[in-house]
Amino acid sequence: MKIKNYSVLFLLGSLPVASGIAMAENSLSSWSFKGFGTLAATGTDSNKIGFYRDKSQTQDVRSEWGLTSDSRLGLQVDKKFSDSFQATVQWVARDHAGSFAEQNLDWAFLRWRIQDDVNIRLGRLGADAFLLSDYRNVGYAYPWMRPPHEFYSNIPYYHFDGADITKKFSLSEGYLSVKVYGGYSFNQLPTQSGLNNQKSPTTGISLRYENDRWQARLGYNYATVTSEAPIQDLLTAINNPLLAQVYPDLRQLIPAIMMRGKEYHFGSVGVVYDDGVWLTQMEAAYTASNTLWSPTRVTSYLSLGRRFSTVTLYSLLGIAKTFQHNVTIPSPLVASPALLGIQQRLDQALNNNGINEQSVSLGTRWDFHENMALKTQWSHYWLGNNGPQQWQQSSGNITPNNVNVMSVGIDFIF
Amino acid sequence: MIKKIFTAVFLFLFATTTQAEIIVIGNLKNNLQSLNFIQVEDIFMGRSRSLPNGRIALPIDQATLRPEFYQKLIARPLEQINAYWARIMFTGQASPPTIVADDNAVITIVNENKDAVGYIDRKNLDHRVRILLILN
Repeated sequence: MKIKNYSVLFLLGSLPVASGIAMAENSLSSWSFKGFGTLAATGTDSNKIGFYRDKSQTQDVRSEWGLTSDSRLGLQVDKKFSDSFQATVQWVARDHAGSFAEQNLDWAFLRWRIQDDVNIRLGRLGADAFLLSDYRNVGYAYPWMRPPHEFYSNIPYYHFDGADITKKFSLSEGYLSVKVYGGYSFNQLPTQSGLNNQKSPTTGISLRYENDRWQARLGYNYATVTSEAPIQDLLTAINNPLLAQVYPDLRQLIPAIMMRGKEYHFGSVGVVYDDGVWLTQMEAAYTASNTLWSPTRVTSYLSLGRRFSTVTLYSLLGIAKTFQHNVTIPSPLVASPALLGIQQRLDQALNNNGINEQSVSLGTRWDFHENMALKTQWSHYWLGNNGPQQWQQSSGNITPNNVNVMSVGIDFIF
Repeated sequence: MIKKIFTAVFLFLFATTTQAEIIVIGNLKNNLQSLNFIQVEDIFMGRSRSLPNGRIALPIDQATLRPEFYQKLIARPLEQINAYWARIMFTGQASPPTIVADDNAVITIVNENKDAVGYIDRKNLDHRVRILLILN
C-alpha cells in the first residue's frame, strides 16, 4: 500500500518531463501524448468513520488529511494510423485495490471509424453506464472536487474488455449518439472479507444528446457476477458437517452469501445545462440487484453553479438510499469464540452493505492558469443507520450522524 | 448617465478596433467553396468532422487567435473550451484541433493539406488559400 502511494507521488513529480515530451511533439504527428491529473488533500472532522472517494480505494481519509483520496495522474497515448483507424491507451495512477498496473489501465482500444458518424471500438474500454463514468478521473473536465459521492462511490467499475458501437445522428442543432456495448469486466475491490476479484460479463445501451448548451443521457446496463466473494473459508466452515451439530441452520444462508450468479440492472437518467455562465447538472439512478453484497438502491444528485469570469461557485446536493431487509443470522448452540466469530463475520458480510446518505456541498473552482484549476470543496454528510457502506467503519462502531469532508486541490491537463 | 454611455460606446469601439477580423480558410484543391457557422462549429468542436463534400476535415487552431476565435464561434472563454476538450479527448471520442503558432503556419498547413481547415487574421490572407467563412 505504501509503495502505491509513493508511485503516485513519483509520477506527479515526473510531470515536467512529460510536458516537455508533449511540447516537442510534431504539429501533425500521428502520435499524441497527453495527460491529466489532480493533486489534492482531503480530510474529515471525524475519526469514527473513514471517507472513500469510491469503493475501489484501499485507503480512507479521516481527520488526518491524506493525498491519496483525490490525487491521480493519467497518461494517454493516441496513435492515428489513418482517418479510419486509431489506437488509444490510457493509464491512471491512483489508489486502487489489486494490481496497480492492470487495474489502473482504463483504456487500450482500437477505434475504427466506418463512417464519420459510426465508430466501433475494440479492446479495453471505459465503462459508460452514467454521465461521468468514463471521465471520473479527469477532474479538470468537471466543476467538483470529485464525482458526486452518493452517486459514484458505489460504482467503482472503470473499464471492461469488449467492444462498443456508436452511431451519431444530427438532431435539431445537436447530435444524438446511440451506443451499444458489451464485454467482460474484471475488477479488484476491497471488501470487509478481503480482496474481491469480481468477474462480470456486462452489456448496456446509452442514448446521449448534446448541443451547445444541453446534454441529456439515458442509460441501461446489465451485469452478472461469475466469480465468488472472498468467503471461501466461511463456505468451507458452513459446509462442514461437524459444525452443523453445534451451529445448525447456517446452510440456509448459503444462497444469500453467494455472489456468483447474482445480477445487477442499472438504469439512469442525466441532464446537464451549461450556457457559459450558469451550470446545472443532475442525475438519478436505480440499481436493482438480487445480492445483499450490494443491495438495491436509488441514488441522485443535483448541482447548480455560476461562473464569475474564471471563478465558478457551485453547490451540490446528493442522496443515496438502499432498500434491504437484513438477514437474521442464527446464534450458535454453544457460545464459543470461534462460533461467535463466524456469526459476526456473516452479519458483517450480509448486513453491513446498506447506505443512507445525504449531503450538501459548496465549492469553488478557479481557472487561474491555462489548463489548470484550483478547487476547494466542503461537504457535509448526514448518515443514517442503514449501514455506512460507502465509508470505512470498523465492526461494532456506531455510525456518526454527521461528517464534514474538506478538500483543496489542483486539476491540470497537459 | 450620458457619461457612462459615452464611456461604454468608446470602450466598444476601442475593443472592436483591436480585434482581428477572423476568416476561416481552406485548401484551393479542395472543391469546397464555403462553410456556414454551424459547420465550422461542428468541425472545431469535434462533433462532426465531415465536410459537406464528404471528405474528413483536418482542423487547425492558431495559438494567439484561439481565445478570440472561440469567443466569436460559440461565445465561450478558452478555459471552458479546454475543459470541454478534456472530456472529449480523455473519453477517446475525438482529438482537439492541432495548434500551430501563427497565421503563416496555418496558411502553410492549409496549403499543404487538401482537407485542412484553419483560421487567420484577414490582414494576413494570401493567394495560397481560400476563404470559407468570415467570422464577425
